[in-house]
Amino acid sequence: MSVFKVLFRIPWHILLLAAILVLVGSLALYSASQGSWQPWAGRHSVRAVVGFTLVIGIAFIDFNFIKKLSYPIFFIAILGLIAVMISGSGQGVTRWISIGGITFQPSEPTKIAVILALANYFSGQPHDRLRSIVWYIPALFIVAIPFALVLIQPDLGTALMLFFGGIVVIFAAGLPWRYVLGAVVMAIAAIPVFWLQLHAYQKARIMTFLSPESDILGAGYQISQSKIALGSGGLFGKGFLMGSQSQLNYLPEKQTDFVFTMIGEEFGFAGNGFILLVYLLLSISILRISFRVKSRFAQLTCIGIAMTVFFYMFVNVAMVTGLMPVVGAPLPLISYGGTSMLTLFISFGIVASANVHDRHSPGEKNY
Amino acid sequence: MERTKTKDLRRTMSRRALFLSGGSILFTSFLVSRLYQLQVAQNSRYSRLSDRNQYDIKIVPPVRGRLFDIKNRLLAGNAESFLLYLTPLYVDDVQKTLIDLAKIVNLSRDLQRDVIVAARKGPSFRHIIIRDDLSQRELARLAVRSPLLNGVSFGKSLRRIYPQGSLACHITGYVSPITANEIDQNPVLAKTPYLATGKVGVELAQEEKLRGMSGRERIEVNALGHPIQVLRDTDARSGEDLRLSIDISIQVQAVEILRRGNLKSVNLGTSEVQSALSKDDDLKAHIALGDDLILRDAKDRLVPPESGAAVVMDIQTGEIISLVSLPMFDPNLFTGKLLTRDWKRLNMHPRKPLLNRVISGQYAPGSTFKMVVGLAALEAGVINKNTTFNCSGDMELGNATFHCWRKGGHGMMNIITALEQSCDVFFYEISLKTGIRKIKDMAHRLGLGDVTGIDLFGEKSGIIPSHEWKLANQGSVWTPGETVVSSIGQGYVLATPLQLAVMTARLSNGKSAVSPSLIKPQNGQQILFPPLNIEPEALSIIQEGMQRVMTGGLGTARKYNLAKSFGGMAGKTGTVQVKRITKAQREKGIVKNIDRPWAERDHALFVGYAPIIKPRFAISVIVEHGGSGSSTAAPIARDILIKTMQAKS
Repeated sequence: MSVFKVLFRIPWHILLLAAILVLVGSLALYSASQGSWQPWAGRHSVRAVVGFTLVIGIAFIDFNFIKKLSYPIFFIAILGLIAVMISGSGQGVTRWISIGGITFQPSEPTKIAVILALANYFSGQPHDRLRSIVWYIPALFIVAIPFALVLIQPDLGTALMLFFGGIVVIFAAGLPWRYVLGAVVMAIAAIPVFWLQLHAYQKARIMTFLSPESDILGAGYQISQSKIALGSGGLFGKGFLMGSQSQLNYLPEKQTDFVFTMIGEEFGFAGNGFILLVYLLLSISILRISFRVKSRFAQLTCIGIAMTVFFYMFVNVAMVTGLMPVVGAPLPLISYGGTSMLTLFISFGIVASANVHDRHSPGEKNY
Repeated sequence: MERTKTKDLRRTMSRRALFLSGGSILFTSFLVSRLYQLQVAQNSRYSRLSDRNQYDIKIVPPVRGRLFDIKNRLLAGNAESFLLYLTPLYVDDVQKTLIDLAKIVNLSRDLQRDVIVAARKGPSFRHIIIRDDLSQRELARLAVRSPLLNGVSFGKSLRRIYPQGSLACHITGYVSPITANEIDQNPVLAKTPYLATGKVGVELAQEEKLRGMSGRERIEVNALGHPIQVLRDTDARSGEDLRLSIDISIQVQAVEILRRGNLKSVNLGTSEVQSALSKDDDLKAHIALGDDLILRDAKDRLVPPESGAAVVMDIQTGEIISLVSLPMFDPNLFTGKLLTRDWKRLNMHPRKPLLNRVISGQYAPGSTFKMVVGLAALEAGVINKNTTFNCSGDMELGNATFHCWRKGGHGMMNIITALEQSCDVFFYEISLKTGIRKIKDMAHRLGLGDVTGIDLFGEKSGIIPSHEWKLANQGSVWTPGETVVSSIGQGYVLATPLQLAVMTARLSNGKSAVSPSLIKPQNGQQILFPPLNIEPEALSIIQEGMQRVMTGGLGTARKYNLAKSFGGMAGKTGTVQVKRITKAQREKGIVKNIDRPWAERDHALFVGYAPIIKPRFAISVIVEHGGSGSSTAAPIARDILIKTMQAKS
């Protein structure tokens, strides 16, 4: 395939939407450090440039090769999670490992690895098997193993997103509706069991979510402050660099988990609404590609990635607006954080590669 | 066919993708409506809150309750200490500031990391405590350099102190900084991470009362976060002060008497002592605890002070007057940051200074158990005051021979003379007739085999064996030989020094099943104990035997009787084999106790009460590997009783 043909087929509109989000992110981080490119905004922008290059690079890789790599990537991700578990054998929370001086969170790329592994698994199953529940059991393991490993780190936010990303692929693969409904009922029944497995601080977060005013100083502090900052932003916000709650440091973690709140204070409902719209367009654009690609593997991969981006956004926004407990989830492409951003760009690259290499040949009917 | 199926599947997947798109739109609208609610509908409310959002809430730690002895002398109190804290708002680079600070005061890497994490969370004008135990020297050094360190300031706080040093260490226990585990169990503690909590002793047992309640302060700040005024929300409530039944003036004497035992003082300065100190590991470990007492034993060897336990108890109220467990440690070491060096010294010490022997040391009671067997036999009607058995020096049972401690035997013995001279064979005989079941019942009624319920954690229950116990724990059937061995308090039988004191208290007061306590009730009301329900006649026979131990012509402790002016005393000696004597050794002639290595020598025990008429105090003494109950433990018990009666009269 010629270079031009590849470039022509790269879904540029997705990159444009991503670029808008990165730009918003850089501005927000600039404001978070009281109007400075240090320490966050500058690095955020540089990482984004690396990310875009990565997308274009991956677009040139034959999609079949990505398919062949999907299982090895999954096993490497699992090994990474085990490495975190072993190296962080002390008390508390360990999510990072360091290789050659670069530290990163293996749980981030694991999200993509799970989607690829599941897509590969389902693409290899003959059609009639997908009617029987038995053939979904290996898929459940592909989700459950990394889910458990991330949960014990403990990182509830990432574990949940990884779980939902995997569930979406299983759902899209054609899990019969009766099992979908059965699973929902079982999930509700399992809530008490899950509760017992949580760490004290995780329980505290959920209790605080249910009544944030009970603990204004501790776990409830973040969510109370976040709501005040958002609510005081109004329709159009207090203006760039003018958010008093954020600038006065009432708002913690404003460069990562609570960046959406800061944007809300400075740009108001209009700014936040615009960001939500961009995310929605981004997810739907990737979903649209899933209609266009040829192989089942590509289709499932695109659906998984689209919904992962969406879940990322949904969990974060629901969390900072007080609709969900604080589980620690960044806002994709806007929050400061290298591993998360690069993971997203790599997944966009995979989507681009699918779009470039995995199309129906002209004349073939599109089912 | 296959092709249509594939087509079907593709349609399913596409339909599902469409479903997901619809879901995304739905959920996004849900978020948008939530944002509308917060940012547009409730905007005025949140704007008001934002303007008012100008105060910070600070937790005010409570003052921990103090511990006093019975005469209101301080056992655990609070002393002022200096805090070092950091206000992230005024600090440009927290990490750099911490590195600079570490050059002036002691700051571990872990501590620096904790501060950096704390600085990232919460508003930047809230103080973060870096250290709560600055020394005067560190304070002086900081004061000179503080103009260069923006955002770093000092404050005062309280720190636990134990003014009696190691003297009451096993009673008060100690406090130390909150552990992650405690926070996990009680999340409220997370708000005051610099607070110290009780880890052992009364400090732990009465933690809830001593801790008090944190208060809250609201600090108003201006737009830049500078504090303007402090509004008190809730006052901190101090912990309760507690008065213990311990008398520290008796405690100090008891410690001195027990640790010296029969040993002789030496002059530390001599070159002999100095060279011994550099060679002997036991002496080295002992000196490292900060105690410079070195003694000389009967063979002129240099030895550390005795280890063991002594406990004095009021036989009516159950109040513990003195509780000594040796060796001791300095609880002040734990209140700040415990040095690894100190922790190692305490933990690796061969004689385990952290072990509270009074409640957690389980020893074979030896001959002090004979009162239990005698009482069980009298109550069962197996013997009376005049029943006699002949002691020939040993008793045959099946293939086994059970020896009396006295090789030639004691001749004709009744219960009183058998207690007086501690004849083993007499008790072998009556135990077989009474049976282990009744002996076990009597032991429990006298307080053995169960925890006493004293206000200290880590109490052991000891062991009073029975058929059921052996089946459950050894998986085999009880044999008559084991009844014989149990009758002289050896074999499986184990008791703590506290249980032995409780037993003696119950034997001497004769009426109530008294239990030990350490805390004086505040309203001065007396605790009522359940009745003992033992025949007074049987009890008086046992008491007479115990008096004969001190006064009889052949009494095992006749040399150490309490003078008549104090009203005399009653007691029982016990000498407990730590190592079994084999038949071969017995024939060859037993190596004398004093010539064996320390860890193989017999434990010396004594239990007793005084005065004889209207008894008031019960005592139990154990000297680990101290030799015989008569020559080592009895004089210690007598001397401690003298000091107790002098102080209490």
